[in-house]
Amino acid sequence: MSLMKREDWYNLTRSTNWTPKYVSEDELFPEEMSGGRGIPMEKWDTYDEPYKVTFSEYVETQREKDAGIYSVKAALSRSKFMDDVDPGWESTMQAHYGAVATAEYQASLAETRMARFSKAPGNRNMATFGMMDENRHGQHQLYFPHTYTKRSRQWDWAYKANHTNEWAAVAGKNFFDDVMLTRDAISTAIMLTFSFETGFTNMQFLGLAADAAETGDHTFASLISSIQTDESRHAQQGGPALKILIENGKKEEAQKMVDLSIWKAWRLFSVLTGPIMDYYTPVEHRKQSFKEFMEEWIVAQFERQLLDLGLELPWYWDTFINDIADKHHAMHLGVWYWRPTAWWNPAAGAGKADRAWLEEKYPGWNDTYGKCWDVITENILNDKKDLTLPATLPLICHTGFVPIITIPHKKVPEGQLADYQLEYEGRLYHFDSEVDRWVFETDPERYKGVMTAVDHFLAGNITPPDLNGALAWMGLSPGEMGVDAHDYAWAEDFRK
Amino acid sequence: MALFPLSSLFENDFVIQVVPVDTEDTMDEVAQKCAFHSVNRRIEVQEGKVMRIKRHSNKELFPRDMKVANAGLLPTETIDVFYSDN
Repeated sequence: MSLMKREDWYNLTRSTNWTPKYVSEDELFPEEMSGGRGIPMEKWDTYDEPYKVTFSEYVETQREKDAGIYSVKAALSRSKFMDDVDPGWESTMQAHYGAVATAEYQASLAETRMARFSKAPGNRNMATFGMMDENRHGQHQLYFPHTYTKRSRQWDWAYKANHTNEWAAVAGKNFFDDVMLTRDAISTAIMLTFSFETGFTNMQFLGLAADAAETGDHTFASLISSIQTDESRHAQQGGPALKILIENGKKEEAQKMVDLSIWKAWRLFSVLTGPIMDYYTPVEHRKQSFKEFMEEWIVAQFERQLLDLGLELPWYWDTFINDIADKHHAMHLGVWYWRPTAWWNPAAGAGKADRAWLEEKYPGWNDTYGKCWDVITENILNDKKDLTLPATLPLICHTGFVPIITIPHKKVPEGQLADYQLEYEGRLYHFDSEVDRWVFETDPERYKGVMTAVDHFLAGNITPPDLNGALAWMGLSPGEMGVDAHDYAWAEDFRK
Repeated sequence: MALFPLSSLFENDFVIQVVPVDTEDTMDEVAQKCAFHSVNRRIEVQEGKVMRIKRHSNKELFPRDMKVANAGLLPTETIDVFYSDN
């Protein structure tokens, strides 16, 4: 039997739509699930995804991808790589898998919502592939770390993290719940695929793949590169959705969704990816600094895409640009200092070679963050390690769910804020920036009930009401709580 | 007397921390409790100076002997703690 040429049938199948007879359009596409925003069906028919694939092409390609990564995994399964690699890289892997693996399954649900409820047939078609992509990513990123569970219980957090109250997991859940699990199909296409995947998975998947290859972790480099090829396809669902909103008088709403989700994604990456790239990855294996990577792969890309679409740069762009040189240094200090609250072992990355690299990449580092590390280093060398461990909780931002931080040892103008507070309906909320507070103010009814670890602590939900109670509440047991990845060996660089 | 949570931003430190104080504590006592979580941990002690407290939002300076109960602070409100000559 001869097959029709692809071009003779593809456009028909990818744009096949329903003409409901027994239910109304609103019953078929409920507004809260579809997010059609009153734009007529014929406009949604014009949705034109830039990357087109048929089902048979998809299956063939995915099969090849899976064969590729499994063959690399099998070939390297007897290698002692993880025994010999720098402990900072093992921590990177544990942090990555815990933050990402089960969130991939949630992303599959988000794709499913678009596949069923988007009014744009092209979006539904692409999301069907996206749904299978994310399921694949969830499976692989549970299976690969499972190989290492015999090494330590921390590896089991690939599965466990998102089922706990651990703060980094909660920060991730807060973000993904907001932008991908509780939004209509069109909002999800924009906030998840355009803002998060287009921009920021580049960071995690391209940046980390480069570092993995340099470090010699070819299994992970192969896995993560394979995942990125899926991401780069299904991330293109948001652009055409934005185009339809803009063409139909919804530019302001589209802009707000983009602004909000880029910011929230940035906060997550500043605490998880920033420390990994600039501190955990051994200095000799770092391809680019986090700031350099952000500038090349995130900033430039967003600027080009937003302007191409006819959108503006987010109103906070200058703040964002300043943030990418700074925020993650304080986030790293926080993660390291509160290391028992992490499911991985944070690498300090504060030895002599690290500090020289940091000062070169971030001039002024030694006079700000470095001064905090000076005190920490002295305490380690003088056997006062108890002073390098926390005795209380940091204040947590009610938008980003990450600690509220500032640049240490920096003279700030009188009146400058680090905590942007807001009293709303008798409750005091805390925000890490003006932008975080703006996010809350865009929809206070949506966000007003949020509870950070500090709120749970003050509400009496953590018993005993101390740090040990908080660790138990977060699901962390001995053997899982983070310790310094190098057992403080880096501090010996400074012993006189 | 009642437990009262405040949020402490100690000058030169990098993070705001939750510090439980008592409504009967003076600002000097509050400063000591805040210092416990920052000084000698990430910032150095400054000998010969006193620690003072401002309201973070409007930088209102509190007298050293003012009690928390009289300061008009909200639970978890952020205060600035800093070394001063007087």
